Amino acid sequence: MTLLDDRQQFGEPFALFEDAGAFDHVPVAPAPRTTLPGRPDDVVTPSVQRPIARISRQDVLTMAGSAVSALCTTMLIFGQLTSLSGTLGFVVVAFVIFVVTYAVVVGISEDGPAVVDKVVTVLLAAAAVLAIGALSSVVSFTLWRGRNAIWRPNTYTDDLGKTGPLDGVDKGGIAHAIAGTLIITAIALVITVPLGVACAVYLNERRTRVAGLVRTVVTAMTALPSILAGLLIFSTWILILGFERSGIAAALATTIVMLPIIIRAADVVLRLVPGNMREAAAALGAPQWRTVWHVVLPTARSGLTTSVILGVARGVGETAPVLLTAGFTASMNVNPLRGAMVTLPLAAFTLVKSPLPSQIARGFAAAAVLMVLVLVLFSLARILGGRPVGQLSKRQSRRAANRSAQDLRRALARHASQPQATTEVSG
Amino acid sequence: MSTTKSHVRRRLLIVAVLFLGWCCVGTAASPVVADGYQRISGEGSSWAANAIDAMRVNVTQYGITVDYNPSGSTAGRKDFLNGTVDFAASDIPFQFAPEDGSAPENPAPNSYAYMPITAGGTAFMYNLKINGKRVTNLRLSGENVSRIFTGAITMWNDPAIAADNPGLTMPARTIVPVVRSDGSGSTAQFTLWMISQFPAIWTDFCNRSGRAPKCGSTSFYPTTTGMIAQSGDLGVAGYVAQGFAEGAIGYVNYSYALGNQFPVVKVLNAAGFYTEPTPSNVAVSLLAAQINTDAGDPSVYLTQDLSGVYVDADPRAYALSSYSYLILPTVIGGQFNEAKGKTLGAFSYYAMCQAQQQSASLGYSPMPVNLVQASFDQITKIPGVVVQDIDIHQCHNPTFAADGSNLLADQAPQPQACDQNGPLQCPTGTGGMSNVPTAVSDAASGAPVVTTPAVTTPAVTNPAATTPAVSTPAAGSGGATPGVTAPAVTTPALTTPAAGAGGANPAVTAPAVGGSGASGSPTVNTTVGGGTVASGAPVPGGATGAATDPAAAGAGTGAVDPSTGGLLVDPAAAGTNIDPSAAASVGQGCDPDTGVCAASTPNVGAPTAGGAATQTVGAVTPTTLGQSSGFGSSLVLKLLVIMLTLALVLAPAYAWRHYSSRGMA
Amino acid sequence: MTAIDQEVLGVEAVTTSLPRVAAENAPVPVPRTIDARRGRGDRVFFRGASASGMVVLAIMGAVGVFLAIEAKQALVKAGPSFLTTAEWEPDRGRFGIAAVMLGTVLIAVVAVSVALPIALGTALFITEVAPTWLRSWLIALVDLMAAVPSVVYGLWGLFFLQGNIIGLSRWFNTWFGWLPFFKVTGSDPDNPLSNASVYTASTFIAGVVVAMMVMPIACVVMRQVFSQVPPGEREGAYALGSTRWGMIRVVALPFARGGIIGGTMLGLGRALGETIAVVLIISPSFKINFHVLEAGANSVSSLIAIRYNETSGVGLSALFAAGLVLFVLTLIVNFTASWFISRSRSGAGSEA
Repeated sequence: MTLLDDRQQFGEPFALFEDAGAFDHVPVAPAPRTTLPGRPDDVVTPSVQRPIARISRQDVLTMAGSAVSALCTTMLIFGQLTSLSGTLGFVVVAFVIFVVTYAVVVGISEDGPAVVDKVVTVLLAAAAVLAIGALSSVVSFTLWRGRNAIWRPNTYTDDLGKTGPLDGVDKGGIAHAIAGTLIITAIALVITVPLGVACAVYLNERRTRVAGLVRTVVTAMTALPSILAGLLIFSTWILILGFERSGIAAALATTIVMLPIIIRAADVVLRLVPGNMREAAAALGAPQWRTVWHVVLPTARSGLTTSVILGVARGVGETAPVLLTAGFTASMNVNPLRGAMVTLPLAAFTLVKSPLPSQIARGFAAAAVLMVLVLVLFSLARILGGRPVGQLSKRQSRRAANRSAQDLRRALARHASQPQATTEVSG
Repeated sequence: MSTTKSHVRRRLLIVAVLFLGWCCVGTAASPVVADGYQRISGEGSSWAANAIDAMRVNVTQYGITVDYNPSGSTAGRKDFLNGTVDFAASDIPFQFAPEDGSAPENPAPNSYAYMPITAGGTAFMYNLKINGKRVTNLRLSGENVSRIFTGAITMWNDPAIAADNPGLTMPARTIVPVVRSDGSGSTAQFTLWMISQFPAIWTDFCNRSGRAPKCGSTSFYPTTTGMIAQSGDLGVAGYVAQGFAEGAIGYVNYSYALGNQFPVVKVLNAAGFYTEPTPSNVAVSLLAAQINTDAGDPSVYLTQDLSGVYVDADPRAYALSSYSYLILPTVIGGQFNEAKGKTLGAFSYYAMCQAQQQSASLGYSPMPVNLVQASFDQITKIPGVVVQDIDIHQCHNPTFAADGSNLLADQAPQPQACDQNGPLQCPTGTGGMSNVPTAVSDAASGAPVVTTPAVTTPAVTNPAATTPAVSTPAAGSGGATPGVTAPAVTTPALTTPAAGAGGANPAVTAPAVGGSGASGSPTVNTTVGGGTVASGAPVPGGATGAATDPAAAGAGTGAVDPSTGGLLVDPAAAGTNIDPSAAASVGQGCDPDTGVCAASTPNVGAPTAGGAATQTVGAVTPTTLGQSSGFGSSLVLKLLVIMLTLALVLAPAYAWRHYSSRGMA
Repeated sequence: MTAIDQEVLGVEAVTTSLPRVAAENAPVPVPRTIDARRGRGDRVFFRGASASGMVVLAIMGAVGVFLAIEAKQALVKAGPSFLTTAEWEPDRGRFGIAAVMLGTVLIAVVAVSVALPIALGTALFITEVAPTWLRSWLIALVDLMAAVPSVVYGLWGLFFLQGNIIGLSRWFNTWFGWLPFFKVTGSDPDNPLSNASVYTASTFIAGVVVAMMVMPIACVVMRQVFSQVPPGEREGAYALGSTRWGMIRVVALPFARGGIIGGTMLGLGRALGETIAVVLIISPSFKINFHVLEAGANSVSSLIAIRYNETSGVGLSALFAAGLVLFVLTLIVNFTASWFISRSRSGAGSEA
């Protein structure tokens, strides 16, 4: 306790803090002169700071001990005392026993609030583990059931056009679904991105009542159940206008789903562009379109990309609108205007209904490919959108520095070429 | 600032340009494919979907692309009316006056033509176990089927069901009828049959379900509590096949039971025999169907009246046999044009001619000659069709005999004696599990031998060889009839698993090779198995275990690639030289759960070919059951989940530790 | 300092040079007119932006209007009984969304009640308990979970969950069967041979699968709100001797209440509209049925998915009417959610 020793050397001012052990580690300035009444008795209990975030060895041991105890108790209950059975029941009972045991064990050394705190911490961790466990169960189950098809190259290069009910997974694949997904998503992107970004710009640049209405309607449309988008296109494009089910119909339905999502996300991102950047541009005399084109959009670029990618991720995974509008085909079709086209989620949805193991495996392979696709898109979004607006990456700042240097050189060149007028007024 | 372009925009531009280029290429390339065939699309019956799917695959060799969406007969007819598809497939004709109160369908007169495309039986696929062993030989009278699907019988041990199955001790388990949730032609056919045969039962149910007074035949099955409704034949079959669905019974096309490796109910016919809808039995039954021959009225021409089928007194008849139709457009309209008509015509010709030889292998029954000829006339009504002059005998349709009679029906095997309504019950398996007999009680087996449930009377020596009427030694009860199998083999790949199996047993090789040629080999005329139909290989000696030949048994376990599924069984089954005595001593049967065949054939000589089939049996059953009844390798799966969870949590932890410590140093 | 810098910044002499002016012919300085009018570029720009806004408004408005128009025929035909009839037989004039909408709501309620505790726990774990390295990882995983397509969850529910959750359903039924919600017609817990089928294809299973999709959505909102808890208040609670749970209870939860409710309702909105996962699992039934564990369920979106191509005329219009009601319900839920979020302390500046 060197600190304490120091205090004793210094004497009076520090004696005040002797009672407040909790502040032991706080560096103390000599200035304050507040006098506190001393304790009636001189018994000083040195208090120790209560750790609130650290995990001590005791915690670990308590937890491990409780876990082992719970496991053993549960095994005893399940195997010997009762006729309970089932994995799920086992896990649940073991967890409950674990929590109770843990509470009791912690209660030996800690007081009430601390016990509650520890138990709640365990419960929170359990919720997180449950969530992650559910996710990994979904992912691994999909990969597992598709394992026979996933690793075969023909799954990605063939369609099912020549694959009959009797063929195994070594023939045929889901190439047509991959192509369909790409085509339909691409069409939807071509429509939604310019329109969506332009509309977001509109919402941000014109704060009129009409813009408010547009914003409200767009917000409302994010609530549109995706199957209704499909039903609308089915009813208008296919039944009323008389087109056949095709990639373009599916793309239109997907567009209706994606458009509000992209607009809203882009709107939020554009709103985050600092106002002073706009003002700076305006002060330099830039017309508004130049401000938007050269300042606002580049600044929000990563955010916009993220919002587009998230919209794509949503659009790629939509089954319901495609189910109603794309028809179903087993053969490759790269013409979105003619003939049925099938997407990965639709292929997964349809193929797994078959009783044949090979078809089911292909269906799960389609789901796995879809998952990987979404994962890639998602990672892209995180990489591109990981930086807040206006904050540049190394490459971007290097580029910006280069541009500044270039401007500088340009200015200098102009400066040098200008005839030196006079120095009369020089001060 | 001039370099500062919006990269978002630029990328989009690139994407757009690329895409437009792709579109142009696509538009230019795809409408006209080889031989000028345009892509056509069809929709409809899931009952006939397996047959149509096989046709779709086979016509790709002519450059014809057909998109078929098996979304149900009702959906097919509706979309045909809407003009969004080029043809429809439906089990029933247009409903001008639906009896269930739904909206009438009113196609423009003379805008369509019916063309019967395949025949089959609506089978009752069930999932039932007695003492943990799957029942494969369940028998029900039509009345009991009706009462099950109307909720009047709710328990499997109902006395009425027990009376149908004297050899089985029915479990006290509730029955879960699984019906179609979508508009379905098979529902319509099924309800039509019930209304015709058991009106009181149906009316009672109709009243209870709230449908009254519109109690006619319906495409939308009314559901009550305790029933499960699933979409499409696939959905029904898929549900029944689940491991948790014990006690379930659903109506699907026979081919789905084969595909799922599940048994079907033998239904009592008017002759007092319990039969299953094998292609040959269906062919027999449909001889009694009244086909409308009023060629002047397209709204009825070639439609079927099945009331004769329901009461057909042939012992082989299966009452729920019916035809399924393609609805062909006869005028241009909607999506349909002459270019598509050309494709549709070519497809239809193929479907009626070459494709028919394959039907039986899938569990459908080929069309008889009169309907094929009538269909050829119907095809000529398609606008844009290139009329072909087909010599009908070049079609290799197994039903065609030189004298114009229905060969398939003529040669259909008679039912076994034990299939007759009475105290006996056959142990023979049905449907997709025809290779797996179910033990019946001694009294019902009618056999003096107690140890083996197999019947030992000469007439039924072989569970697969059902009748003495057959000229060849064996015919798969679950599958085809003489002469059918060989042409059914279309894919050489089919035989590879069996060829693998054959490695261990020289005797096997010959039939396996014989099967690899689609046209047939010298062995074909005598090796009649269920072919690809019966997945589980309803072949001679199908249940004979080779206990005395461990090598053969071992070969069997590895015979079939588990990923390829159950259908891929060597179509050419055993050889010609089966020792009758060997075949007579049928094994104890195969455990439906494990697929292990308990062997009890001491005298199967190594050189005899009985082993070929046996091995496939042993190999197929476990994999497919494991797939369909849930999650065979769930332990591995669990481990995978645990490891992935741990990895997701621990890997970043270690990575962080690693990098943070390195950063500090 | 580089040479250039020296030259420009001119360390030694800052000289401003003005051009020499010849006084005699100097133009009279005219003040630049200050013009508020926009240039041509801006006019084009604004027209373009407004046009895109109008196009979006037109598309979205058309969607809404078209829904209403298509639904009108059925709504007129059915009248108010559309909300109270359970059957769905449009061709016979007897149809309503009572059973279907109840099924939709029940699935959503099950989904939310399963997802809410997990979402809340996970959000709290991420913001309050997890160490930094785990935090960013968990955030990414939860976000990823929100992005997994619903068909994948549907497959998982159909092939994995349905078979494995029967035990749980049976257990609920056995011990809580006296509660009307957990009753299962036709179940017989005492009979070892009783069918597992009665527990399959139920509202409960569909709800659990939808919960998988609701959970991450709710969790993301909650996490964001928890991370906005003012550090001052948080540390103040700790300084007063609170445990972590005490801090969560008195500071974090009250602060985030709006976000929790809002996030849950956003999830509810998603749950109401979910189609494919529900279609894959349920066995459609048109009876008013509160028994969530029992086979037989329905939802508006799955009704549309099953029936859209089997109907025409009134039937199709009735599907639109059902869809319209669902849309309105989702709309109410979503706007309520954003109202809750924006009204709460935590969400004052948020956009949700």
